[in-house]
Amino acid sequence: MRPIASLLATAAVLASSIAAETTIIRNATILTITKGRIEKGSVLIQDGKIAEVGTTVNARSGAIVVDGTGKYLTPGIIDCHSHTAVEGNVNEGSVSDSSMVNIKDVINPLDINIYRALAGGLTVSNVLHGSANAIGGQTIVIKLRWGKTAPEMIFEGAKPGIKFALGENPKRQGYPPDFFSQGPPEPRRYPGTRMGVEEVIRESFAEAKNYQAEWKEYNDRVARGEHPIPPRKDLRLEPLVEVLEGKRYVHAHCYRADEILMLMRVADDMGFKIRTLQHVLEGYKVAKEIAAHGAGASTFSDWWSYKIEAYDATPYNAAMMMRQGVVVSLNSDSDELQRHLNLEAAKTMRYGGLTEDEALAMVTINPAKQLGIDDKVGSIEVGKSGDLVLFDQDPLSNYSKVLKVWIDGHEYFDRGKDLETRGQFEQRKKVLLDKENATPAPTNQQPANQKRGKHPNEASPTEVSR
Amino acid sequence: MKLACAVAALALPLAVVNGQTPSPVAIKDAHIFTVSGAELPKGTVVLRDGLIEDVGANVTIPADAWIIDGTGLTVCPGFIDGLSTWGIPGAAPVAGGGRPAGAPGATPAAAPAQTTPAPRSNGPEDRPQTHTYERAADLVSPSDHRLEAARAAGFTSAVTFPNQGIFEGLGAIINLAGERGRDMVIMQPIGQQVVIRPGRLSSGFPNSLMGNIAYIRQMYLDLDQYKRAREIYDAHPGGNRRPEYDHYLQALSESPRLLLPAVEEQQIDRMLAFGAELKTPFVLYGLHEGFTRVDQLKQANVPVLVSLKWPEKPKESDPADIPNYRELVLRQRAPSVPGMLSKAQVRFALYSDGIDTAPELRKAVKKAIDAGLGPADAVRALTLSVAEIYGVSDRMGSIDKGKIANLVVMRGDPFEDKTTVEYVFIDGQEMKPSKELQKEHPPGAAGAPHPSENLEGGQN
Amino acid sequence: MSRIALTAAAFLVACGAAMAVDSNSVLIQNVTVHPVTAPDISNASVLVIDGKIAEVGSKAPAPAGVTVVDGQGLHLYPGLMNAATNVGLSEISAIRDSVDLDEIGLFNPELRAEIAFNPSSEHIAVTRASGITSVISLPGSGGNFAGLAGGEGTVISGQGALMHMEGWTWEDMAIKPSAVMDVDFPQIQMVPHQFVVLLGLPQRTFADVEREYKERLDRFSDFIERARRYKQAKAAAAPDFKSDIKLEAMIPVIDGKIPLFVRASRERAIKDAVAFADKTKVKIIIADPLELGSAGPLLKSHNIPVVLGKTFELPLRDDDPYDTPYTLPSQFYKAGVKICFGTFDTEFARNVPFEAAQAAAFGLPHDEALKGLTINTAEILGVGDQFGSIEKGKVADLILTDGDPMEARTNIKRMFIAGREVSLESRHTREYEKWSKRP
Repeated sequence: MRPIASLLATAAVLASSIAAETTIIRNATILTITKGRIEKGSVLIQDGKIAEVGTTVNARSGAIVVDGTGKYLTPGIIDCHSHTAVEGNVNEGSVSDSSMVNIKDVINPLDINIYRALAGGLTVSNVLHGSANAIGGQTIVIKLRWGKTAPEMIFEGAKPGIKFALGENPKRQGYPPDFFSQGPPEPRRYPGTRMGVEEVIRESFAEAKNYQAEWKEYNDRVARGEHPIPPRKDLRLEPLVEVLEGKRYVHAHCYRADEILMLMRVADDMGFKIRTLQHVLEGYKVAKEIAAHGAGASTFSDWWSYKIEAYDATPYNAAMMMRQGVVVSLNSDSDELQRHLNLEAAKTMRYGGLTEDEALAMVTINPAKQLGIDDKVGSIEVGKSGDLVLFDQDPLSNYSKVLKVWIDGHEYFDRGKDLETRGQFEQRKKVLLDKENATPAPTNQQPANQKRGKHPNEASPTEVSR
Repeated sequence: MKLACAVAALALPLAVVNGQTPSPVAIKDAHIFTVSGAELPKGTVVLRDGLIEDVGANVTIPADAWIIDGTGLTVCPGFIDGLSTWGIPGAAPVAGGGRPAGAPGATPAAAPAQTTPAPRSNGPEDRPQTHTYERAADLVSPSDHRLEAARAAGFTSAVTFPNQGIFEGLGAIINLAGERGRDMVIMQPIGQQVVIRPGRLSSGFPNSLMGNIAYIRQMYLDLDQYKRAREIYDAHPGGNRRPEYDHYLQALSESPRLLLPAVEEQQIDRMLAFGAELKTPFVLYGLHEGFTRVDQLKQANVPVLVSLKWPEKPKESDPADIPNYRELVLRQRAPSVPGMLSKAQVRFALYSDGIDTAPELRKAVKKAIDAGLGPADAVRALTLSVAEIYGVSDRMGSIDKGKIANLVVMRGDPFEDKTTVEYVFIDGQEMKPSKELQKEHPPGAAGAPHPSENLEGGQN
Repeated sequence: MSRIALTAAAFLVACGAAMAVDSNSVLIQNVTVHPVTAPDISNASVLVIDGKIAEVGSKAPAPAGVTVVDGQGLHLYPGLMNAATNVGLSEISAIRDSVDLDEIGLFNPELRAEIAFNPSSEHIAVTRASGITSVISLPGSGGNFAGLAGGEGTVISGQGALMHMEGWTWEDMAIKPSAVMDVDFPQIQMVPHQFVVLLGLPQRTFADVEREYKERLDRFSDFIERARRYKQAKAAAAPDFKSDIKLEAMIPVIDGKIPLFVRASRERAIKDAVAFADKTKVKIIIADPLELGSAGPLLKSHNIPVVLGKTFELPLRDDDPYDTPYTLPSQFYKAGVKICFGTFDTEFARNVPFEAAQAAAFGLPHDEALKGLTINTAEILGVGDQFGSIEKGKVADLILTDGDPMEARTNIKRMFIAGREVSLESRHTREYEKWSKRP
């Protein structure tokens, strides 16, 4: 195919599949999260947004109609702690303050775990740097728009973040060598104690304040008509200044009550707020203080005991913090767990007696609030994004399955289509394998990978088909 | 004349004929790829004093010329390797940067051992792995034993870079022969090469891909500040502290373009955006998954270098481990990238990516031809295209009057299996191409020379 | 009273903490009984005498001296079983001092998980609170590969024990001290080429790796052969017979009394393990397989049961369908293989019912999933005559729930182990109670 023709062909395919689909989901049990449950309800999605929600929705010509009879519709699930779709090491663990690095630079849109998460109802992820540093790298919120490029996955308008880490992980490299270890000791990286972790944070912010002052002075001098030499732009301190100015959220990995309290006090001293405490397994001990500070808490449903700082964890944590007025979400921190956050939410009904709406809120509206995107996602309300999940039964049942997932009104996952196209995908793969194993003389053939019948595992519809 | 030719023919196969080629030389009635103009089925080219004096279908041959009968021979501009470490003795092959390919016969991509271990880096201020100031032009030497193999494959020139660190240094375009290292240099600096190196935790920052990217970004911010500080200070020295001299940034400021690695499609996307962000002219190298990004590359108008080290099924693998579909597609389609780029008129050239034997180089190019790259386009991709990308097309890369007399004379069509390289001219001097090195040897055969065995390092 | 305190109080009452029965005889009335091996019975009773189930379904009143528990219309299930854990042997995985797994040595059949089982481990009560009355505790972690941390790794880790989740000492808690012989079956482990290049490792040929694998298998079969001859020599009471603690421990394996618990994840490993069992004439269970492939008919024809690992896993390969681990249990079931569930860990042993539920969501019939937590587990472990269902004569391991115990929404209300009521309190509930009272 000539280049121009194929470009147009690609554009045409993309246009038909992505732009402005009108979809009506009929006769489903709608769990709005914020406005109760609608039995046998319908939702209209238009131009990427939820346009109508109610017991009936009038037909629209050209609309895709989905029969929701016997099925349940929820908002897209949101994961406040993810390391999926990151290319390369998720930690820049070499230094105790690695705020110069940015997860946004290394988003890998072809990570198959994006698709697997979609298949579990996940639509939005807060993709974080790891926990090897007291101050880690900058973070980003993405929508799981499988098949798009990295920039297209970024959640437009979501405030960027930065990762902090307290407790064991950021201090491990500072330990003295083990008495029984052999070989030359690894060079130690400060800090080696919780006390040093606090110091790293205080010191970095003190530097950030100096940096802020330096630039202010420079700008003032320029305004006065002088010709000063500008200070060096320091990528490490820039995001910390943004934190001070309220332009960047702090997501802090923490476990023990003492370090949770410490961080909030440091933030108070420095004049900023912690946006979310992550893991926060002992948050129940200082829930009062967390609520007063205004931090959100994003925790596990029932992880515990893998480290000593997780030994006092209790699965009642989420319920206890919630009842003290903290906005609580449940997260995954795992490529596997992110596939069934609805089931994790269900655990709060057993551990703490949460209601169905409270439980589901933990993985929908609550993380949306924590990420500052609750005006756009997190519940089924008119005006919000068409991010929806259709389950074959109550999503809080351990027997439920995801059938379809929409993001911005576009269907990104359909279990039926996935099942249908598996055979063809295997066939196409077999053709390539046979070809390779037969090691034939070089030929001019292209493998058969037309768009028709493409299996969702194969991303990249931007590929030009020839 | 015939006696001189006979003497030359009797010379030891591996001997370099130093400055003994009688000048001028005429290759008569050969099939000539001028590359810049028409293909001449029967033409003549005349070389004098290291330059091309004349080329055409009807050319007057000087009376004092050594005439080579070009019947049955094909003449191309000497091939130019788009990115390599040729000429730098002791340098390991250039790192691919993105996915390590599994080509059989490739030497392992281990970084060369440094003489002293680098101190642990605690951040960008320590300028980790930053060899911006290393200058290929200072390091090249005709004593690099690998050069023989390159010439045996018809290469007369190469873009060559030092190859340690994240910022590897200032590259040069060199000829693959000369009396001394400095004679080899055609132009420098022609760029700064970046290789992503997420090192071990113990070596310090950076330890991740994002660390590398942040560091490169910081370097360019520092460079910007460095330049501005100078400008402002020069204009208004009074009242300002004088800016420090920084030899890393000084070298970085010299480079006319940045080479960024990009093999997989999301890496191509990333580096196209990153290069634009850095506001420096840049070139991408690698490009094996470029078959999904042809339109984007066309739109971005960024030149690219395609690696000839095609991804292949590893020789040793567990039969129960079936490769991913994406990997299978990559292996199938990577060789088609040059053909696709050519048809889309994207500026591209080819590079050896560490392949260092003549038969393998030839086969690698043939693979691209078999996958859709026109034979004449293949020649261009290793000649004029390289010269254009690096800004030396006014002096080399095609057979035109006045250009450097770098030629390869073959029996057979370029890159075909049975084709042999008969003559190589560099700066108008005949460099006898080794017939031995053109033969395929089974691995480990006794006496088979391995071109990358360097017996000595050394400069100039 | 603050909301928190009210909730905590309600919780305590719901636990029935004030009404615990202190005896191993009880009449549980007014429940829906789920025997598992028979249809459900609504509005029924179960009578337990001296720790054993005496009557099921009858409406007869309690014999004298037997406490009556009003089931309040709730559900009575057999206590759930986890067929593979390290509970009791590992407290905090990051702290080696608290972990007793993976002893040094290639063949360690004489090691007994039972005696290293810590009855004070917090994991016991935590696991119990989700309705699990007994677990297999294994001496191996499944991660002791040859060459890692320099060494041969381990093939036979030792004897896994079936333990009740309540008792003062491990003697009290042991149901079957030597239930299985934990084996890390040799596997072909070829480092993928891209890591060889990336890490600068020496490139090994497949032939070399395969040869090493075969050598290891040979050593394993030789060891079994030595055990067989040892048994003969012992029986013959030869004058120069010397006892050997390792070979002695293998005798029940030779006799077919203790099956080899063979951790084999890939299809090839499963097939090789079956062939190995044929050759060495021992009984095996396949443990923690990650794929089935075409090994189904082989397993079925040999009557080899399978202890499945977690359902909540990621697919092995990028190209695998997203639900492959979810459908794996049903694949085994459809191939006619007997299956039960294990988690092969410590801190999530309590979640084994949810692993089974996920299998049921993706193709395994619900009843089979429940059997995989009860009767199948018991039968595979050789205690099917005493455990795994609510039937007359069996040990009274029972749970009282307000719904399906495989649903997270369900609350486990009360539990009986060998007829004696046990507390469902744990470290987790104690933290809940204590910190709920913080003013």
